[in-house]
Amino acid sequence: MTQRSLAVVACAAVVAVLNTVDVARQARLGVADAETWVAGAAVYLALGVAVVIGRWPERRRTALLMLAWLLAGVVADAGLDWPDSRPAVTVWLLAAALQPSLYAHMVLSYPTGRVRDRSERGFLVVAYSVTLLWQLAPALFADFHCPGCSPHVPSLLFVGQVNLTVLGKVFSGLIIGLGLAFLVLVARRLRGSSPAARRTLLPLVLAAAFACAEFIVLRAASLSDWSQAFGVLNWIDLANLLVVPSAVLAGLMTIRRHRGPLGDLVIELRAARPDQIEPALARAVGDPSLELALWLPEEQRFVDCDGAPATVERDAPGRAVTLVGSEDEPVAAIVHDAGLVEQRALLEAAGSAASLAFQNARLQATLRAQLADLRASRARIVAAGDAERKRVERDLHDGAQQRLLAAGLALQLLAADRGNGELLAEAQAELQSALRELRELARGIHPAILTDGGLPAAVRSLVDRAPVPVTVDVPDGRYPEPVESAAYFVVSEALANVAKHAHARSAAVSVMRDNGRLVVQVRDDGRGGADDQSGTGLRGLSDRVGALNGDLTVSSAPGAGTTVRAEIPCGS
Amino acid sequence: MAAQVLIVDDHASFRRLTRRVLLAAGFDVVGEAADARGARELIARLEPDAVLLDVMLPDGSGLDVARELVRGPHTPRVVLTSSRSRSDFGASFDLPGGCEFIPKHELSGPALAELLGGA
Repeated sequence: MTQRSLAVVACAAVVAVLNTVDVARQARLGVADAETWVAGAAVYLALGVAVVIGRWPERRRTALLMLAWLLAGVVADAGLDWPDSRPAVTVWLLAAALQPSLYAHMVLSYPTGRVRDRSERGFLVVAYSVTLLWQLAPALFADFHCPGCSPHVPSLLFVGQVNLTVLGKVFSGLIIGLGLAFLVLVARRLRGSSPAARRTLLPLVLAAAFACAEFIVLRAASLSDWSQAFGVLNWIDLANLLVVPSAVLAGLMTIRRHRGPLGDLVIELRAARPDQIEPALARAVGDPSLELALWLPEEQRFVDCDGAPATVERDAPGRAVTLVGSEDEPVAAIVHDAGLVEQRALLEAAGSAASLAFQNARLQATLRAQLADLRASRARIVAAGDAERKRVERDLHDGAQQRLLAAGLALQLLAADRGNGELLAEAQAELQSALRELRELARGIHPAILTDGGLPAAVRSLVDRAPVPVTVDVPDGRYPEPVESAAYFVVSEALANVAKHAHARSAAVSVMRDNGRLVVQVRDDGRGGADDQSGTGLRGLSDRVGALNGDLTVSSAPGAGTTVRAEIPCGS
Repeated sequence: MAAQVLIVDDHASFRRLTRRVLLAAGFDVVGEAADARGARELIARLEPDAVLLDVMLPDGSGLDVARELVRGPHTPRVVLTSSRSRSDFGASFDLPGGCEFIPKHELSGPALAELLGGA
């Protein structure tokens, strides 16, 4: 048993003893009336509730506040029984002064026992100060005199007969102001809570708002010397004594009732996709603002259900974090409304229920991250291949080609010198063919015109070499290098197929930009029947386009021509 | 009098052989340059009648040099040359006014003589 829970039981015992002594004494003196018995019983009920919720760590502070409030009430009652004792009356006055502030404190901090922000804290400081001052001043400096309700009580530090009527009215005004501020804070509290937290708060807050409204009306009545009001005030206190434990119990019941959706959650999560876990949890605990972060142990970081990095802030205002799994090796973190803290048991149960789905989601998130890596590495491989082809083309151009050109010139000179024309002419012809083939090879490896002139120029140079008339529609503009290369090779391969297999009379090449994608299409009016799965050319193209996250489709019904269409993402 | 020609190319063996081809065809080769900077210098100093100018030079484009020459005070005849075909440069290959182009694999004494307007 921890120190706090011991404190709860000890406080409860003290209040119980004081209450019993008070009731017994009143009975013995024959002054016990209906109010005495009802109040006595209500205190026992409230004590029971305080002890029950005090076993719950998140509610322990509330239990202690409730006990403090009860203690103040019992002491205030008991003090009335020793009207001639200065210390007893002073303690009684102080307890009576603290009671409404303790009540406000308990309600505002319900259910965690902690106030949430500066305005609530400020309100409580003012409330405690004003109510204490209200009673302390007369207790120390003036004779307490309440005509008709008790005998004359001398003050602790008597300084003479002081007329407190004016001061009393000022304090009453202050108290009314505080009551109104309390109502505003309570309303704000309700509005800012998640539906689940609101269900827990509602019974106590409604009761408190009602009690406070009555309190304000009565204070206002007392300002206008309506003395009957005090009798009514007693009954409201009594009613409150009954309402508070009932309201706290009712709040507890709503949590218990909400354990029901857990069963539904388990069933719902069994077939849930990762992106459905978060909304399902939010529904089950009644907090639409709930967010889920999955822990990736290999990378030691949190991600959301899509695999994007997520931050889990433990100290964000109004938010709280519940970890699923162990502190060192969590499975996931649930970030939720701070008002749900008292429902931690529910959250943990929901988390356990969702555990399997989390594992699944985590696997999927990892898989997605790996897939993204894979795609990136595929694109890098293609880019590296392109760079390599470009280097080979330059090497061919600067090396072998220059040598052959020079050899050609040398042969030319020889032919002129020696007059051994026939043989040399043959060598020259061979050399010319070698040069031509070398040029074709270099162009096929990487077209220099693509780097220098972009896609429009490169496509037109392809079209110029095509054996059939080709119409071209390529808008000016540059694209990322891998996109230009892929588009160029689509046109190049498709036109090569037109020349080799299609038996076409004409063809058309079009390139256009559509919604962030470059659409390249080559259409011919040939015999069709091409198969994109046979032949390395089209399959290689499909890989190249796929590496850029694009699509390549070939439609080629027999007799209906062939259309090769590539869609390549090219940025905005 | 034989036309004076300047050869601009970054490949030494090509320059050497072209010089001999041109000499054999009756031209007077007055100088050789390996890059655009050297070409500008020699053209200004030697004021040749004609320049055989490689398109791709290590420090710039032969086309740029040709454009400057066309605009300049002393305008020699300019024949651009390259190991690539004209179609490899695309339709946008913009030959400055009055300049000619010959691919290197078609280069010969008679062909140059025709383009340079005779020796």
